[in-house]
Amino acid sequence: MVFKNLSYKTQRKIIIFAFSLIPVVLLFTFAYLPVFNMFKYSFTDWNGYSKHYDFVGFENYKTIFTDSKYFSVFKVSLYYFAATFIQMGLALYFATILSFNVRFKNFFKGVLFFPYLLNGVAIGFIFLFFFRPDGTLDTIMQALGLGAYTQGWLLNPNIINISLAGASLWRYMGFNFIIFLGAISSIGRDVYEAAEIDGANRWHQFRHIILPSIKNIVQLNLILAISGAISAFDIPYIMTGGSNGSNTFVIQTVTTAFKYNKLGLASAMAVVLLFIVIIVTLLQRLLIKEEK
Amino acid sequence: MYRIKYAAANFIKYASLLLGTFAALVPIIVVFFASFKTNKEYGTSSPLTPPDNWLNLANYSKAFTNGKMLLGFGNTVIILVISIIGATLIGSMIAYVLNRFKFRGSKFLMGAFLLATLIPSVTTQVATFRIINSLHLVDTRFAPILLYLGTDIIAVYIFMQFLDSISESLDESAMLDGASYFTIYWKIILPLLAPAIVTVIIVKGVNIYNDFYTPFLYMPSEDLQVLSTALFKFKGPYGSQWEVICAGIMITIVPILIVFLALQKYIYNGFAQGSVK
Amino acid sequence: MFVSKNKALMGFLALLLVLTTLAGCSKSGNGNENADQAGGGSTGEITVITQRTDIVDSVFKEYAAEFNKEHPDIKVNFQALADYEGQITVRMNSDDYGDVLLIPTSIPLVDTPEFFEPLGDLAELKKQYIGLDERAIDGKAYGIPVAVNFSGVLYNKKVFADAGVTTAPKTPAEFIAALKAIKAKGDAIPLYTNYADGWPLTQWESVLTTVAGSVDYVNVDQPNTDDNFVPGKPHYELYKVLYDAAKEGLIEPDPTTTNWEASKADLANGKIGAMVVGSWAIGQVQALAPNKEDIAYMPFPTNASEVIMPLAGDYNIGINKYSKNKEAARAWIDWFLNKSDYATVQAGGMSPVVGAPLPETLKAFEGTAVKFEMQSPAKEGQEGLVDKIDKDAEIGLWQPEFKKRIIEAGIGNLKESYDDIMRDLNEAWVKSRAKLTK
Repeated sequence: MVFKNLSYKTQRKIIIFAFSLIPVVLLFTFAYLPVFNMFKYSFTDWNGYSKHYDFVGFENYKTIFTDSKYFSVFKVSLYYFAATFIQMGLALYFATILSFNVRFKNFFKGVLFFPYLLNGVAIGFIFLFFFRPDGTLDTIMQALGLGAYTQGWLLNPNIINISLAGASLWRYMGFNFIIFLGAISSIGRDVYEAAEIDGANRWHQFRHIILPSIKNIVQLNLILAISGAISAFDIPYIMTGGSNGSNTFVIQTVTTAFKYNKLGLASAMAVVLLFIVIIVTLLQRLLIKEEK
Repeated sequence: MYRIKYAAANFIKYASLLLGTFAALVPIIVVFFASFKTNKEYGTSSPLTPPDNWLNLANYSKAFTNGKMLLGFGNTVIILVISIIGATLIGSMIAYVLNRFKFRGSKFLMGAFLLATLIPSVTTQVATFRIINSLHLVDTRFAPILLYLGTDIIAVYIFMQFLDSISESLDESAMLDGASYFTIYWKIILPLLAPAIVTVIIVKGVNIYNDFYTPFLYMPSEDLQVLSTALFKFKGPYGSQWEVICAGIMITIVPILIVFLALQKYIYNGFAQGSVK
Repeated sequence: MFVSKNKALMGFLALLLVLTTLAGCSKSGNGNENADQAGGGSTGEITVITQRTDIVDSVFKEYAAEFNKEHPDIKVNFQALADYEGQITVRMNSDDYGDVLLIPTSIPLVDTPEFFEPLGDLAELKKQYIGLDERAIDGKAYGIPVAVNFSGVLYNKKVFADAGVTTAPKTPAEFIAALKAIKAKGDAIPLYTNYADGWPLTQWESVLTTVAGSVDYVNVDQPNTDDNFVPGKPHYELYKVLYDAAKEGLIEPDPTTTNWEASKADLANGKIGAMVVGSWAIGQVQALAPNKEDIAYMPFPTNASEVIMPLAGDYNIGINKYSKNKEAARAWIDWFLNKSDYATVQAGGMSPVVGAPLPETLKAFEGTAVKFEMQSPAKEGQEGLVDKIDKDAEIGLWQPEFKKRIIEAGIGNLKESYDDIMRDLNEAWVKSRAKLTK
């Protein structure tokens, strides 16, 4: 009642303050304060539990950039990076064909989206079951007469990362798919009809109508997926714990922090990772802007 | 000629869809099969063979009672409901302010919210833990709830996107009628955000339902276990009884499958309207 | 821009302060209630943290019921952590890590008093319990082992006998030959590493004393040598067995998909020949075996003149320094160590209580040349030094990482040779040792 009678100018001030207060406090307490503290720890030799620690300057950063073992794990990210593009491609493909007339449309939509709804722990179990010797994959290949090509899917160091990136693709493809599907369905029917009268085939429609109208959403998904690839963690962590050459930078960070009690060093690694993610994102934004 | 090409395209279309379906379902179906098998049957039969007895629910009852799945389910639901309501209110509030008002620092705030999506939260966990701990919230349901509200800001992003498509002329005409900003938010914006809210429920809901690390670290007490931590515990005692683990997996899948089937229509619509523009 | 940032920060800090105080108030309210309850001696409520997720709901509940017959006024709550080491160290950032807990092995000895309550004078307590040295500093004991284990090789006698090996192999060469014989027979995996679970690989480190043939090596000699991983030294010889077994194809065909629980059943059923694992596993495997007699234990093969089976404490139990109910916590520890069957039945070892009867598994060695001895403690001033060097060098003596590396090299997944790995570890060791002993 009283609020209503205030001038819009005062109301404006009050509502900005009142509506921002809780979200901002939450954001800064749980998202930025930890980052800030992490930044501080990265200049210390803290072990993660002691009450005291010393500041060591840039020592931790020097260690990361001089010892090749910390950076070499980034090449594992390349597998997830590559999988990201396949994932986007598949999601776009399925979203496009399911935007047009297809029988059992809802069934296909549901099925393709469903893996995204599953629990990471369950997925870890499901894929251990899938990849183990004489597991699901081997059985299917034998049934198809491809028995000779079965592999130690997690044993062969040349294949393990492909297997794990595959599991990650399986898990996240549905999410991109459903977003793209939503984006495509918001394009007006009349646009297609006009194009069809002009004699445009499906490919042309995709290239000249669909792709331009959902460009933003594809870019956003790509950014998220790429920063996800750089910080890949849960699937390899649950399935292999990072062994046999499947170690990622984040797993390495967790190991450094909790197995070797070098929280200072691990914090420095996390800071480096954060900077890489931010730089990649900014680069992408810049490149995209230039294209425009 | 055109017809042949059309038929070929059609064939490829359905073949690829079937292949996709197969790839999406097979890993789950084998788990479904295994969950009905006896230990011996599991050891001797191929993963692709359906179980002998579809009514063998022994694994389910074992997983359900020994794993205390009901308790896990209860905790998951409590956390889920509070977090989603909170995220919807908080997210729509801040999105409303940032979208409708330009003020000193609004750009900065917007940037702050977007940048936060890029922080890999696993790496900050020790720092985060110390904060939760200094608030004396460790081992309470508030720890994950606050973290879900504070760190996963995808809701804000979705609302901001959607608000762009709600014309400001609506606000203005309401103002002519003398409505306060709060009334505009509560009576006009929030109802219009409904499709975006569905999207948020799905995206956030799935994240929370499936999150393992947060409850694992912040709620060690047994009576605070959620579904994912309950399932993780199976790894130890049932490591050699995959059929029981499989039953546990199915138990965590079934509720979300039901919700999904019930909300299917809204989900697609929500994404259609809520995600773009 | 900068101004608004600062404003936002200040506002946020102010709010945080309010939140903290609010939370603090409610907390201190609870604290007072507890204090009132704890007024009269051993009463109150305590939280006991364990790593045994498997028996926390069953055996531990029974223990609590038994305990309550003697101490009806103490309410005992349990928490089991699945990833004990990882979770407890994070929680130890706070004051709230239960009342009674297992001292995490990753906490260095020197830091122990920072977190744990002294349980008594070392000399005094030694009359009552064995294995206290591991967590004793400045004449005070901070932890008591919940059980005392011995370390060696758990094997299926029948599998060995079927392959023509009737006496337990004594030297590494004999051991490898026996594994080869099992492989030739083709019915069982000769040596199971449990690579995927990781932690079983750390069990190898505990037989180092047997390989060295001296109780002084681990804590006394090791921190004073720069040749820890060079040929002829215990570490080199110990892990050479693992490497050779992997190289000769004597381990599981796909180490990446192994499973600890399944491996116990397979060993029990003769599908596995041997595993390097502590004595605590004997009972668990025997329980699964069709014929209990088939499951036997032997010292790790060694070229040393004396065969020493090292005795070592399991996790040490201790009291949180910030516990509000130390008396009740102590009552639980005393009852748990002296009256419960945890050490022998659940942990599969011996009781740490002086004069407790020897378990069945140990009696098999009566009359043999095998000696059972505790490792000697470190020299004064060098307590925890091995651990410090280990952490600093990121070697991980008690972590699975370099054992996995050895296996990966053995099966040809990595290009490096065994000597490359050992040289690498030794270099790291020398560097960190120099840094920490200067």
